[in-house]
Amino acid sequence: MIDRNHGWNVSVKPVVLGFILSFFFTVALYRIADRHHLMGTTFAITIFSIAMVQTLIQLVFFMQVGMESKPRWVSISLLFAILVIIIVIGGSIWIMNNLNYNMMPMDSMPTHGAF
Amino acid sequence: MKEKALPLKEKSPDPHHNSYARTVFGFWLFLLSDFVLFGVLFACFAVLRENKFGGPGALDLFNLDIAFSQSLLLLCCSFFAGLGGVAIHRKNKIQTVIWFSILFFVGLAFVILELKDLSRLIALGADWTKSGFLSAFYTVVGTHILHVILGLMWIPVLLWGVIKLGIAHEEITRGTCLRLFWQFLNIVWIFIFAFVYFAERG
Repeated sequence: MIDRNHGWNVSVKPVVLGFILSFFFTVALYRIADRHHLMGTTFAITIFSIAMVQTLIQLVFFMQVGMESKPRWVSISLLFAILVIIIVIGGSIWIMNNLNYNMMPMDSMPTHGAF
Repeated sequence: MKEKALPLKEKSPDPHHNSYARTVFGFWLFLLSDFVLFGVLFACFAVLRENKFGGPGALDLFNLDIAFSQSLLLLCCSFFAGLGGVAIHRKNKIQTVIWFSILFFVGLAFVILELKDLSRLIALGADWTKSGFLSAFYTVVGTHILHVILGLMWIPVLLWGVIKLGIAHEEITRGTCLRLFWQFLNIVWIFIFAFVYFAERG
């Protein structure tokens, strides 16, 4: 992104390449969800990996992360943001699942069905 | 004060490059903080997605075809923003205006499609007061579309400067920030498409 010679910024090639690759993965995501080929955990893992690969493609080809010169502040700050996001999302799901598990007996209470 | 500041500015080896690099990096940090904001909203959605309170769920409500068209529109936005970014770096005024204008109309189509889809949901009776799941859904999608609308409002401002003043160093910096903003919006949408609209599928 911050390149000294502006070489990468004036090239159409990575933009077109990123568009074609992202298009392919977007269609793949849609097909997998629409045709019900995959079930349960396999579905979740496939969707998650396709989304991750597409994000990586867009970060590199569109936003040009990792193309900057030596003190790689762009990449380092991105890694830090990813760490924060993983802690927030992973931690929330972990804590709330644990909470739901401990609240389990509430589910079998007769009043629940009234809603 | 003024006389002291002036020679300092002239001594700087390449003032354009420094301000370009600094501004774009600062904008990148803003985008990362926005990533964290959306991360928090996704965490809310992941936690609340089961809490339907007897109301409709993802399978009853979401139209995958519309969400898929929205994905393609936003991907085109990312593409045209990239082309506009290249054109503005080449100091090609006509191409810059053309690509960013196309970006504006594709983005507008996205916003209209999204608002129509949301009003369809509200007409079905699935508004944000019905359940925790719907509150989380409208918060994620609403924050995203607010960002898209801001990005749309930014385009005429940039083009006004490009047409009026020509492509100077400041315009290249602003164009690069705008390009990064639209590409950021597309990355956020990938996760909305894959995790919000695909919830309960498979």
